[in-house]
Amino acid sequence: MIRTIEVLFAIIIIAGAVIATSYFTVLPSPTEVSPINLRRLSFTTLQTLDSSYDLSQAAFETDNATAWGRLQVALSASLPPDVVYNLTVYDVNDQNGEVYNYVTSVSNTASLSTTTDVSTYTVASSNVTFNVTPEKIGQSNGGTLYLLNCSDANGWWITGYTAQTLAQDLYNLLSPYFVNTIMIQNTSQLAQILSGTPLQGEPLRNAVIINTYGEAVPIPSSYCQTPYSQNNYDYYSYYLGQKVYLYNWTWSSIVGYPFYYVSNTVALSSGQNSWGIYGMQMTGPGGSRAFLEGINNQAYVSNTNAVTDSANRQVTFTSYVANQTNYYGIYPSTYQTSTRALSNSTLAGYNLKVGLNVFNPSDPNQDYLAGAIYNHYATGSSNITGSLLALGLTRTPDVRITGLSLLSYYQPRLYASEYTAQGNSRLVILQLGTVGSG
Amino acid sequence: MANGAIDHIVSLIILMAAISIFIGLYSQNMQTGLTYERHNALSTKTSDLLDNMLLNPGIPSTWGQGDGVIVGFGLQDPVYAEYELSPFSCMRLTSTQSPVYYPRTGAYYSNESAGFGSYLLAPTAKCVNYSSVSKILGVNGTYGFQLTLTPTITVSIQEKSMSPLQLSVTVDGTGYPLANAPISYSLILVNQNANTYPSYTILNGVSTTDAAGAAQLSFSQVTSETQSYALIVYSYLDGLKGIGYCVHDSPNLAKTVVPLVDSFQNNSILLVHGNTIGQQVSGYSQLCYNASFFLLADDYTLRQVVLDSQTSSGKLISGGGVGQDYVSLTLPNNDGILVVTYKDGSGNYGVVLMPWGLGTLAFPLTFGGNPVGQEWVTTDIRQVTIGSIAYHAQLSLWNQGVS
Repeated sequence: MIRTIEVLFAIIIIAGAVIATSYFTVLPSPTEVSPINLRRLSFTTLQTLDSSYDLSQAAFETDNATAWGRLQVALSASLPPDVVYNLTVYDVNDQNGEVYNYVTSVSNTASLSTTTDVSTYTVASSNVTFNVTPEKIGQSNGGTLYLLNCSDANGWWITGYTAQTLAQDLYNLLSPYFVNTIMIQNTSQLAQILSGTPLQGEPLRNAVIINTYGEAVPIPSSYCQTPYSQNNYDYYSYYLGQKVYLYNWTWSSIVGYPFYYVSNTVALSSGQNSWGIYGMQMTGPGGSRAFLEGINNQAYVSNTNAVTDSANRQVTFTSYVANQTNYYGIYPSTYQTSTRALSNSTLAGYNLKVGLNVFNPSDPNQDYLAGAIYNHYATGSSNITGSLLALGLTRTPDVRITGLSLLSYYQPRLYASEYTAQGNSRLVILQLGTVGSG
Repeated sequence: MANGAIDHIVSLIILMAAISIFIGLYSQNMQTGLTYERHNALSTKTSDLLDNMLLNPGIPSTWGQGDGVIVGFGLQDPVYAEYELSPFSCMRLTSTQSPVYYPRTGAYYSNESAGFGSYLLAPTAKCVNYSSVSKILGVNGTYGFQLTLTPTITVSIQEKSMSPLQLSVTVDGTGYPLANAPISYSLILVNQNANTYPSYTILNGVSTTDAAGAAQLSFSQVTSETQSYALIVYSYLDGLKGIGYCVHDSPNLAKTVVPLVDSFQNNSILLVHGNTIGQQVSGYSQLCYNASFFLLADDYTLRQVVLDSQTSSGKLISGGGVGQDYVSLTLPNNDGILVVTYKDGSGNYGVVLMPWGLGTLAFPLTFGGNPVGQEWVTTDIRQVTIGSIAYHAQLSLWNQGVS
């Protein structure tokens, strides 16, 4: 009998242990087991509310009852019915004292449940100015940008613009990135730099020259004679190629077929480009060939074989150039139409190698490049001796592509100014809770 | 001696019985705890999987505008960041609604249509289905899921009177009416005149909702029930943007034009005579149509994009063995709204809308399996935008094979 009593005692002890264990083993409620991720919901809600910068505006206008009324309506409307919120705004202080200072808060509940989570979102005042200082291209060896802005020349394939407006746009876009940016105001000034004399004491070597005249190239009056007038002025393009080779220039053709015309409204006033634009002479495909011979430092031989197949192609930026759009804040359309893509294999015959592919090749053989910067390497040399940016897109030009191409190639860095202005940033905290949870 | 043995036996039996009961009690506790742990892990997986779907554009990143197979699944708009979804990728998801069969192409079309007067029918063969997405996400056989995209703002439109036309617009959020919110509307009124291909007039206007999220609109130009129109209403407040629409056809109109997506890659659609799709109707019928495409401008008005003039208007003839009962149209790359006005041989007019990109008419979408009957389903939710329209993206997840 005594053993039975002992067993009963043992059972009481074990039962006590079970009860005690059960008491402490409290299983969570179902809403706590599989909760909605309130932190992510909170964050995405703040992002949505600030998608039109209304949240940023309201955070700095805490006295504006209308703005805060709208914000509360939007918050309540965007959250599920069983979610309650508390939105608090803090001022961020980078001076002495508290870092975060309470500004205001709104809520649709007296107290949040125990199941809550928060997200934070920093907003900046619209009064803030961000400064960016760009690195200068060729700071130690050159750094000159020439923009052809000649008043005595006409352009072609720049319909809707004038060379002068394009030059001004390019000036605004690119001058922060160069040590010297010089507008070449007439063909006489062009003749001056071709003869090796700087206009303002700037370094001639390693300069970038942008031809804003489209398929036409301004020609100084003094060059409108032999030998430059040979073969419909092909020889002038040859001469330009030689200068590009000599001074290691980067010649930029912004649209269409490079070197297809020459233009001087005085010396060539009686001539027209066969489309009714006077002051212009068509050189044809021979112009490009002559330039390539010049940059390759070979003897001039007239060659009128085309360097493009003139096929119509839809092209897109290469991923590298597309990424650079965000870095430099230049956003031309990713999709472009090319009708004057240059043959890479043809240019390779003149010792030109692709330094930057602006567009993805779209022909089956991947030979015709709609936009690229070609570098010339003399046979056996690893030094670049002249470059050509050729954008074989159809008219009319988008000079942002020219700017983006050059910046993507030279890769100047941008130094953003530090953002330390007091009272210009605020921290918004959105705390969410579920109704009815434990 | 015998008493001692009996005492031993009785005490041993009692002890064994008690231990058995206690083991049962303990194991029940432990089993419940393990189940809770599994459910908790499922909840974490839900959140991870939802972010995985929403925060990457997939491979190739522009798969929403292609017809080919995909290697990686994601709905993020490749042009934007964070929780901005591609309107085209969402459009390529196979809907859970029953597909529609079109005999002329011999293809089934995923039915993402939402309500009267609007269609979104995409070829099932070119859509991305639940099975392939499960495999790509690596959850095939282990988890089942259902993704639901629901507009955050619901814009409801009701006719109050016909002469003149008065409409009541109600704008609701998921948890609260959108009170004192600006609304911008465009009434596309079909011109009922001698034109063979029905033209239209667009009447734009703005208004504001009251404290209950309601607004009243009146159009003196509409005075008869036989006049056909479509009303598109945008509402917006602090980053929340919503859209709603309603379509009114002539009461005696029994035919319709149905737009079908033909190719996502080529931006091509088919305009089909309604008699030849779904439940087919025999007999001769002619519909004269006029198709237009609109983008939503920054000022919340519709901006027309010119379509190919060869096919943007014409005739769809069903039965009789003459003429064609469908025509192919090419739409722009941008997301927008296709508006087709049409009339039958008896002078009855109608309008059909089709969103090109899921968000442009705030169509909802349900993609994936059926959670009904599953042992434990966890859900998670995010606020997203599709073409600037606010949506809730909700994912339901469950363990597969457990029921």
